[in-house]
Amino acid sequence: MKFASIFIALGVFVAPHAIAESTALPHASGIESKNYVWNKQDQELEGLLKCAGDKERGQVAYEVCRGCHKNHAEGRPDAGYPQLAGQHVSVLIKQMADVRRGLRDNPRMHPFIEATAVPLAEIPDMAAYLHSLRVPTSNRKGPGGNLVRGKILYDKDCVSCHGDAGEGDAAEFYPKVASQHYPYLYRESLDIRDLMRRNANPKMVRVLKGYSDEDIEAVSDYMSRLPPVND
Amino acid sequence: MTVKCIASMAALALLMSVITSAVAAEKVQGDPAKAESIVASACASCHGLDGNSPVPGFPKLAGQSPVYLLRELKEFKLEHRKSEAMTPFIANLSEEDQANLALYFAAQKPTPGVVTKPELVAAGKKIYLEGNSDSGVPSCDGCHSESGAGSDRFPRVAGQDVEYTLAQIKLYAQHVRKYGIKAMRIVAERLTDLEAEAVAQYLASLK
Repeated sequence: MKFASIFIALGVFVAPHAIAESTALPHASGIESKNYVWNKQDQELEGLLKCAGDKERGQVAYEVCRGCHKNHAEGRPDAGYPQLAGQHVSVLIKQMADVRRGLRDNPRMHPFIEATAVPLAEIPDMAAYLHSLRVPTSNRKGPGGNLVRGKILYDKDCVSCHGDAGEGDAAEFYPKVASQHYPYLYRESLDIRDLMRRNANPKMVRVLKGYSDEDIEAVSDYMSRLPPVND
Repeated sequence: MTVKCIASMAALALLMSVITSAVAAEKVQGDPAKAESIVASACASCHGLDGNSPVPGFPKLAGQSPVYLLRELKEFKLEHRKSEAMTPFIANLSEEDQANLALYFAAQKPTPGVVTKPELVAAGKKIYLEGNSDSGVPSCDGCHSESGAGSDRFPRVAGQDVEYTLAQIKLYAQHVRKYGIKAMRIVAERLTDLEAEAVAQYLASLK
């Protein structure tokens, strides 16, 4: 290929490096602290959840997210960016707020959700817009080798919160997991088990504690193959 | 105390009006015809009569979003955004002049850009459309749109002058252009020099 050498040259320059930049990430104490309360409501989160989001304003506000989460909020499985289309408003608002205040560590995303990038008032608008989008059917599935095990684990441990169809529970802030990208489900589940996702629900940590990496792979694969659920 | 929607809380709304001013998109009101004499006497030697800059290093303004143009003119006036070349001209522009100029240049037809290193265009396209997820660079099309036409919040970049693009990325990365949307500062910090140059070449190739 004619430009191969350029890509190789770029590869050398863009080899993974730690993101070291001027903007310090905020840090809120999370699951690692003794008195952690999951989904503790404060004025900011409650105030955001009370807003009636405006889809049209949300579509404009979402422009700054499209570089990663893409035009139809389908995310990018190859880059680890989750699909956001059709997700529950409550989940979207909580996760955006958590990244913003440093309860969910996300150095790649933080600059694009912090105060000067996104005014607080636009968060409910974006959530309303994203929730209104149809869940794409073209999400990345897992390797497919252990779906029977995946179903057994899902039915035993996950159904009570995430639902038979993987529809989640908006009132409880439980995300829709059906048709999410496999690499994202896998990584987040590992992070929750290993206490790396600091805004995790301790109930989920307890469930995943007994899971091997292979178990997590199987159940993530199963979830990625659940058909899209549109509210 | 009953918690209300955060967007309707008075104190926060006030704070937000300050923050949002950087991203708010209000329609520009004015008369582009009234800008013609100012363009001829002040702007044309660098930006061209039709907003297609004849001089490398100076931005092409033709076809740019009027909202963006007006926002930047205001930023120059406030000295938030600094440019030695712009300083003598901006001082004399009234608010009305600024709006008229923004509408004038927005209405001009952009000419194709000049690619100076064609061998970098393909690599630049990859960055523009895919970003670099290792370093957390989003794809550029997310904000600037696939065609490079931009929006009211994010400027048109299609056909832009290579030197100008590179200079701006540098100014963002060094926090000299610090009042712009912060997302761009982070992108500029995360881009390597070679990635920035490749993207600049790709932008110039967009029509």
